[in-house]
Amino acid sequence: MKRMQSLQKLLALLLAFALLAAACGGSDDDDGVAAGGDDTDQADEAPADGAEDEAPADDAEDEAPADDAEDEAPADDEAMTDEDERAGGTLTFAFVSALRHLNGTVQSGYATAVPGTQVNASPLLFDENYQPQPYLAESWDVSDDGLTVTLNLRDNALFHDGVPITSEDVAFSILTSQANHPFKAMFAPVVSVDSSDPLVAVISLSEPHPAILMAMSPGLLPIIPKHIFDDGQDMKEHPRNSGDDFIGSGPFRVVEYDPSEVIRLEKFDDFFLEGYPLLDEIIIDIVPDPNTAILGLENGDYDMITSPNAAATQQFEEDDRFVVEAKGHEAIGQIDWLFLNTRSDVLSTVEARQAISLAIDQQGWRDIVQLGRSSANVTGIQNASPFYNADATNYDRLAPDEATALLESVGLGDGFELDMPATAAMLPTAEFIQQDLSAIGVTVNIRQVPDFPTWAAAVAGGTYDITYTQVWNWGDPVIGVHRSYDCENRIEPPGVIWSNNAWYCNEEVDALLDTAAATFDNDARQAAYFEASELINQDAPIVYLGKPDWYQIRKPRVQNPPTGIWGFMSPWHEVWLDGE
Amino acid sequence: MPESLQPVSPDLPAGVSGIGAAPGREALRMFVRNKAAIFGVFLLTSMLILSFIVPLFFDRDPGARVGGPHVSPGSEGGGLMGTDNLGRDIWTIVIYGGAATLKIAAGASAMIIFVGLSLGALAGYYGGWVDSLLMRITEFFQVLPGLLFAIVVVALFEPSYWTITFAIGSISWPQLMRLTRAEFLRIKNLEYVKAARAIGASDLRIITRVILPNALPTLIVSATLIMGAAIVIEAGLAFLGLGDPGSLSWGFAIGRAREFFTTNWWAVTFPGMAIFLTVLGLSLVGDGLQDAYNPKLRGR
Amino acid sequence: MARIAQALGLILAVIVLNFTLIHVAPGDAADVIAGDQSASSPEELAEIRARYGLDDPFVVQLGNYVGDVVQGDLGESIWDGQSVTSLIFDRLGATALLAFSALAFAFVVGVSIGTIAARKPTSLLSQLITVLALVGFAMPAFWSGLLLLIFVAVKVDFFPVSGNHDLGFEGNWFESLLDLGQHLILPALTLGFIFLAQYSRLSRASMLEVLESDYVRTARAKGLSERSVVFKHGLRNGLIPVVTILGLQFGTALSGAILVETVFAWPGIGRLAFDALLRRDAPVLLGVLLLASVVVIVANLLTDLTYRLIDPRIRVTGGVNA
Repeated sequence: MKRMQSLQKLLALLLAFALLAAACGGSDDDDGVAAGGDDTDQADEAPADGAEDEAPADDAEDEAPADDAEDEAPADDEAMTDEDERAGGTLTFAFVSALRHLNGTVQSGYATAVPGTQVNASPLLFDENYQPQPYLAESWDVSDDGLTVTLNLRDNALFHDGVPITSEDVAFSILTSQANHPFKAMFAPVVSVDSSDPLVAVISLSEPHPAILMAMSPGLLPIIPKHIFDDGQDMKEHPRNSGDDFIGSGPFRVVEYDPSEVIRLEKFDDFFLEGYPLLDEIIIDIVPDPNTAILGLENGDYDMITSPNAAATQQFEEDDRFVVEAKGHEAIGQIDWLFLNTRSDVLSTVEARQAISLAIDQQGWRDIVQLGRSSANVTGIQNASPFYNADATNYDRLAPDEATALLESVGLGDGFELDMPATAAMLPTAEFIQQDLSAIGVTVNIRQVPDFPTWAAAVAGGTYDITYTQVWNWGDPVIGVHRSYDCENRIEPPGVIWSNNAWYCNEEVDALLDTAAATFDNDARQAAYFEASELINQDAPIVYLGKPDWYQIRKPRVQNPPTGIWGFMSPWHEVWLDGE
Repeated sequence: MPESLQPVSPDLPAGVSGIGAAPGREALRMFVRNKAAIFGVFLLTSMLILSFIVPLFFDRDPGARVGGPHVSPGSEGGGLMGTDNLGRDIWTIVIYGGAATLKIAAGASAMIIFVGLSLGALAGYYGGWVDSLLMRITEFFQVLPGLLFAIVVVALFEPSYWTITFAIGSISWPQLMRLTRAEFLRIKNLEYVKAARAIGASDLRIITRVILPNALPTLIVSATLIMGAAIVIEAGLAFLGLGDPGSLSWGFAIGRAREFFTTNWWAVTFPGMAIFLTVLGLSLVGDGLQDAYNPKLRGR
Repeated sequence: MARIAQALGLILAVIVLNFTLIHVAPGDAADVIAGDQSASSPEELAEIRARYGLDDPFVVQLGNYVGDVVQGDLGESIWDGQSVTSLIFDRLGATALLAFSALAFAFVVGVSIGTIAARKPTSLLSQLITVLALVGFAMPAFWSGLLLLIFVAVKVDFFPVSGNHDLGFEGNWFESLLDLGQHLILPALTLGFIFLAQYSRLSRASMLEVLESDYVRTARAKGLSERSVVFKHGLRNGLIPVVTILGLQFGTALSGAILVETVFAWPGIGRLAFDALLRRDAPVLLGVLLLASVVVIVANLLTDLTYRLIDPRIRVTGGVNA
């Protein structure tokens, strides 16, 4: 990288001189264009064939860690042979998100979590059935009254600088998250974390908190080193949050960190799971736009990408060279939806909102904009969750006549206008609903904003009528769902994006949500969420367009790909490469 | 002085201006003989017809979804130029995009011509401190990094017809100003101007009735290039996501389709072709005019 | 020199203008950071603003910024904290290389074409050349870039589809150079095409004049070979106008590079500025705008100087009507 930069500067200078010389000299033409020489075979840059294994992995036994071993994440097979032939190789990943740093205790979001979960370890992993699995915590326990959670840590876990990981670090991480992380719901009820025993962290809660285990997922609670970070500086801006010298607890360590270009990770030899990680190196190429990822994958530059849009997915499905899979990221529970600003003139009338939902062809949207790769999702809870009420009242059917009738019944038969801020990425949806709504006399004025902050400011500040966005469930509804409906989460302008931007408030719903948040009894939770969904849907503050399938596209050589419920936001320690 | 000799457009060589400009009819004959120029007229006329006449006979909605998404041109349900990501017909979009594109270009050009011409005339005619002051201002605008600055302006103030027109205008007027100024400097010392002044004609009269008409040939040539450049810049802005969504210009159509170009090349290619042909037409015409009015460049 | 003082004044004016623009426009970096968190409270927003001084009065912010710049400190990115200076200089080489290559290509090919056309001004070849050159001017850079991408880079293995180097590239200096060059071809061609028109037409016109001038006639009369006449005497003088705009074109090339950089994912400062703009990362954006303006101003100065140097020579020979 540095070499490339110096090369460029050198060449540029040479060219400049050449141009000047041409001017003064006259007859000579020199151009500095270094013509490309040989055809470097782009198909594989990864030198490895993973033949020789480095990681000895002799004591293969203590992989499947003792006690609560349900089956460990994906088919973690038989190939736990002594000489691990799977070990080795470099995996290249195209990453289209812009990240600020690697510390997930103070920062939410996909951009931080994908590289973050490679370099930081959490107490737990989660399998396909949403069941917690041992990771940094060998075992754990939740007391009967739900007020105490005990984590038993491994005794061989080290940070990248060789310092042992103890319960003090766990305590520090939880409290840092509680104080700084945007998802207040995760650790709000934590009163204290006892770390008197270095291998046991005892978390005391003020009330039962079913979401607490989910909150210990890889992307949500990375365990960071107290000895590095606990120096009084503001955690959000701490200089050690990023950089080549980042010290983490995960299977990979940072070798090169350039957030606008590339992040290179290399295997951490003393990782607490012996024999892992299997990969030698991960190259995360930060890519400026999705097309680059698509082209690069096609060109063989990358091993894996997440599909940027439905058209790309389709393109790769038709390409034999790649594997396209709609698996992984289920826990995220992304729902594509339209916020309706219930504070605005027209939309404060529930009939108007219902009419809008009836006039929009949700299925058509899924078919055309998502090329069919999206499923119906009639509530704010994602359709794969046990708390999803598929039978809730909804206005998702296409019935423009009914819509018109509704509008007329409240005196809006003459139609009205809606202001819709949209970034370029939202434009297809904006144009789609604009067409649908014009059929019932509703004019959507698309206000194209060039960038995210302008859009976010408009929505957070309530200066919009309707807008399109994606909201994530983040595993447990307490973490990602409540925020859109809680009366208390209606924040006055300037407001906050992805809070209760529809300005919805229903005391009954609030009570139900509170109930669901404070009990471990899944049946009780389900009943509460079902009823809440029903009530919310009758009020129709949000039009749910669908839940998109989340695709991974990769080369066939990638084995054990990260297709778990957290997808790429989970450590890739078991991923290996088979051949070129 | 270097400034007045700086070539101010791709077609104006250093120091060569309209000296001894051929009378109109001679120029016309020159123009007509120029094959490239005639081709340009043909192109331009075709695009104008496409943009303004054809829509009168069509009754289509460029925003309507006529078929499945991403259908390639010629294949079933694809129409002449295929469909885009929402199933809209590209051919219809191309037809309806012309008027919007040309309106923006015209607006920007009007601003450029108005500002550039007046400031250039004032600077060239009055000289002295007026000239110095105006030149300083012009230099300031010239130093702003063109497209980047336009991008900043449009992005910060949200894309709309006015912000886009203003942005394009503000980065392009300096060239015209300097050209006008150079012309005025040259012409004002000619005999007939001195004569006019001797009779006691007012400044305004001299500027508008005497000098300007003589500068016209050069300025007209510039105008064609300015319009062409405005179209290209607008397309560039739209490509980056800074187009005016109300306008459905060709640039906007390209910008919208950009995300899908790996699957769908026609949504990007055809509107781009429209831009290309229009600007080419404009440039060829301007070029032809340039040659026609300039004896030095007449073929030997 | 007075010119230098003028130049500094210009730079200051540019800073003030850009700073004002960014400040006046709606939205700021705090919104971006908050949005990136995908949730945050008003208290946090206020805190972010305070941390970056975004809530100071405008004049104070401006004063601070100018003061810093004068000392050579361009500040830090609000987005990720990196030093603006290092961010810019890391990417500057890439854009400079792209711009220079494009201009070099346009210069060389343009002058060659123009000279050929000047020798036979009425030939079909000459006219065809004219049209072809204009094609480059009429094609929006991003469009030709996209076309090249879709129809050449994707189909032909030799051409990479993005970036300026192969990922995970291992090789010695020479191999790196080749790799760089390979990636450079299409973007440089795309950008250079735009200027091709200008240079070919300019040199054609200019060479036409030169070749008819007394100076050259004399050289011919003296019995010098045609080749010598054209190349040594003709070009040297004929190139003056071309060179003049070459210096000024760099600013345009820098600016036009942003589109090419976007299409080819070329990691230059154009792209850096655009991303900074979308994130309201004022320090980075201002840094790039400042740099671009400085480059143009310096190029202007140099061109002026060069011109003055060449000028007396022309007067003395009295040949070229330049």
